[in-house]
Amino acid sequence: MASLAPPTTDRPLLEIRDVSVALRTGNRTMVAGVSLAVRPREVFGIVGESGSGKTLLTRTLLGLQDDAYVAGGSVRFNGQDLPVNGYANKARKLLGHSIGFVPQDPFSSLNPSMRIGKQITEAIYLAKGWPMGAERTREAAIGLMAEVGIPEPALAFNQFPDQFSGGMRQRMVFAIALAQDPKLLVADEPTTALDAITQRRVIELILDRSRKHDLAVILISHNLELLRQSVGRIAVLYGGQLLNIVPSGDIGQSTIHPYTEALFDCIPTREKTLADIRSIPGEPVGAGFGLKGCAFASRCPYVVTACRTTDLPQNAGTASIFSACILGRGVH
Amino acid sequence: MRYVGQRILFSILSLCVLLFITFLLSHVVSGDPAIVAAGPNAGADKIAAVRQEMGLDRPLLVQFWIYCSNILHGDLGTSWFTRQPIASDIIRELPPSLELVFVAMVINLAVSLPLGLLTARYAGTTFDDVVRLVVMAGAGLPIFWLAIILQQVVAGQWRLLPTAGRLGFENRDFTGATGFTLLDSLMQGRFDVFADALAHLVLPAFALTLLFTAVGVRITRTAMMGEFRKDYVVLARAKGASEGRIMVRHVFANGATPALTVFGMQFGWMLGATVLVEEIFGRPGIGRYAVKAVTQSDIHAVVAVVFVVGLVFLISNLVVDIALFLLTPRKHAGA
Amino acid sequence: MRVLRRLLSFPKTNVERTAIVLGCLILLLALVGAFLVPFDPMKIDFRAKLQAPSMLHWLGTDGSGRDVLSRLLYGARLTLASTFAVIIVVVIIGCTIGIASAFVGGAVDNMLMRLADIWLGFPPLILALGFASALGASLEAAIWALIFSWWPNYARLSRMVTADILSQKFIASADALGVPTHRKVLHYVIPNAMDVMLIQIALDISAVMLAISGLSFIGVGAQIPAPEWGAMIADGRSYVSNGWWIVLAPGIAIFITAVSFNVIGDMLRRELDPTSRRR
Repeated sequence: MASLAPPTTDRPLLEIRDVSVALRTGNRTMVAGVSLAVRPREVFGIVGESGSGKTLLTRTLLGLQDDAYVAGGSVRFNGQDLPVNGYANKARKLLGHSIGFVPQDPFSSLNPSMRIGKQITEAIYLAKGWPMGAERTREAAIGLMAEVGIPEPALAFNQFPDQFSGGMRQRMVFAIALAQDPKLLVADEPTTALDAITQRRVIELILDRSRKHDLAVILISHNLELLRQSVGRIAVLYGGQLLNIVPSGDIGQSTIHPYTEALFDCIPTREKTLADIRSIPGEPVGAGFGLKGCAFASRCPYVVTACRTTDLPQNAGTASIFSACILGRGVH
Repeated sequence: MRYVGQRILFSILSLCVLLFITFLLSHVVSGDPAIVAAGPNAGADKIAAVRQEMGLDRPLLVQFWIYCSNILHGDLGTSWFTRQPIASDIIRELPPSLELVFVAMVINLAVSLPLGLLTARYAGTTFDDVVRLVVMAGAGLPIFWLAIILQQVVAGQWRLLPTAGRLGFENRDFTGATGFTLLDSLMQGRFDVFADALAHLVLPAFALTLLFTAVGVRITRTAMMGEFRKDYVVLARAKGASEGRIMVRHVFANGATPALTVFGMQFGWMLGATVLVEEIFGRPGIGRYAVKAVTQSDIHAVVAVVFVVGLVFLISNLVVDIALFLLTPRKHAGA
Repeated sequence: MRVLRRLLSFPKTNVERTAIVLGCLILLLALVGAFLVPFDPMKIDFRAKLQAPSMLHWLGTDGSGRDVLSRLLYGARLTLASTFAVIIVVVIIGCTIGIASAFVGGAVDNMLMRLADIWLGFPPLILALGFASALGASLEAAIWALIFSWWPNYARLSRMVTADILSQKFIASADALGVPTHRKVLHYVIPNAMDVMLIQIALDISAVMLAISGLSFIGVGAQIPAPEWGAMIADGRSYVSNGWWIVLAPGIAIFITAVSFNVIGDMLRRELDPTSRRR
């Protein structure tokens, strides 16, 4: 179901060049030199182990990370430059109408003491004011709830979050994000807390919405297989570095970055025997590991001395396909 | 509703403990309660008569039973320094004290809640550090000393507020139905009396509340800090809600419940602390009554004050908890 | 040496360093201050009454001509000794009840802790007031009164710590080895409870001290010519308009002591309590 060929004609919706993110305490750089572009209507994935910097990067880019800031690089959203100085405040202004965000844990991301309906109408109000009056807003909210697949939305409207399952709550969070008609939806591990079937349904809901409403989506996950089945292109983050951007159809078929290859080898599939499933040797490095050379060098089977001394190649042209491997792996 | 039942049961249990404590104080710790009840100048035959009358020659358990049934019938004994039933003394003295505690509580909430919320939001900033320091200093001020200093400086030197008493000289004959001057004056449309009563309340209420406010700010901060870490704050920000809206509509609504429970307890503690304030400001009330009873060695009156303060404490906790339960618009799963 | 180095690494701000210096200074003065005093703190000299602070009487004299500084230094011992007396006894009684309660478990444990919960809730000052006046007003009465109203704090705390330790795996292996109860208490419970107790004690010093001086001020604690700080304030009240220093000095002494120990307690909580990483 993934659209294999990434659209290349449009101007990018979100374009980041050489972005680095640092922590406020100690100014430690955690993510460095990330360049990528997401086009309108594209479904884009970001994969990485926990600690790879994927959540930190996206949350900081959205201005939602209090303890980190954009330390360098440039960000453009929808043709508008977002200067690095005072970045968080500028980015926050886009939230609520141009960009929607879905946090990871559906069990804590809804306000437990506010009725579901109120939380959705609040989102509509914050995006658009009250152009249609309270009653029409209510109807719009109920319509949205029906659209994301909540049974008996009129009833659910007056209920509190703890009366619903995790899957239902995640749908409500989506209803809130979609209520604001964003151009870009960023979902941070939206399905990790859910069981496999519910996961599938929620992802399909996102893809369906993306197709129907010209919505671009950034899906963040540690689950490469899930992304491979859902998105067009995948960016691979490791140790705070962007190592690879690949079309999801290429994974497992053509030459890709050694780390992506290693990640893929960890996925159990029907064709693989148990012996084929290999864990990556060594311990993962966290974001901001030191940033000299390639973060994966210590675990890479193809490693040469230059990997540790050469600066990592940058995706300076925000090309749609990219590999940071200096050995040329992953470049077609 | 099971929660409400449990809560009431707990209050009844607490009442039993309170009765046990006051019984311990008046019948065991104080030595021979008959000597106490008969007063310091009584002869041996008077004491013997009192002992018989009070049932003190019977086993302690029976005495405890008599003690409880007396109290539940509203009989707290007779004060020998006012020569009145203690119950009626207390009914007369309680409203001014409650009025004082009420005003102190309003100041307390008006300072603690916003400061606690703001320091939680801006935790780790200079603002937070400064507030923490001020709060720490406030927690170290002895209430009675602060009361004396305030009285001397604000009322005595600067003449900004009245020095002592409940009402000014021109309103000394004012009476009302409830005994709460603020309420009575409003009911009678006497706004001049209301302003006068309020002016007399400001300093004692401020002195009384400072220590409690110091605790209140910290409690509120801790409660709100926990809320600011939750994902619904992130979602609210992602919705484009302003920081003010997030603080008031989202965080406060969720973090207030545990904080308000503590404020409910503070109500009773403050009533106890009136013993340190009322006498200094020459205000009538159970605090001053207790201090007077102490200096007159009228133990039954003192213990009665202990009982009443404990009772008010139990009731205010019960009311706050049930009110919070009913007002919090959320299903208490399993409760 | 290692303990000392660890302790020295605790203070993070100048406020905390100042508090530690002040706290130590106050403790030192309470210990040796009585030998340094320039005047007899109880000697009445009506010719010298109500003298403002001067080179001779640094903090002035009170309404009976007694030297305020001398009384303050004597009072440091009286006030702090009573405070520590309360805390030591309360820790012993409270912990005995708490640890025993946790070991016994079951209905007794449940009942004791319920009792402690309820007891703890009641306004401590008024409870102590009732107890002290029932005993007959004196400093000893005030000390016993505070013990009477403070014990549940430590009973609850020590029960919590003990129950926590008893539920851990190494106790199960100790059980299997047949380690007797008193050894379990000595070698497992007490070392593990130390940190938590220390935090609570540091924070309670100021609370107990404020309560003792408050009780003395009302008249159920130390009686008036005694140089206890609360009683000194009560004594100075009648002279507050023509001898402000009499009231001011002991109040500031209480204030500085209370704040110092509060800051120290707060610092200990931050450094020692793993559950309160607040930033």
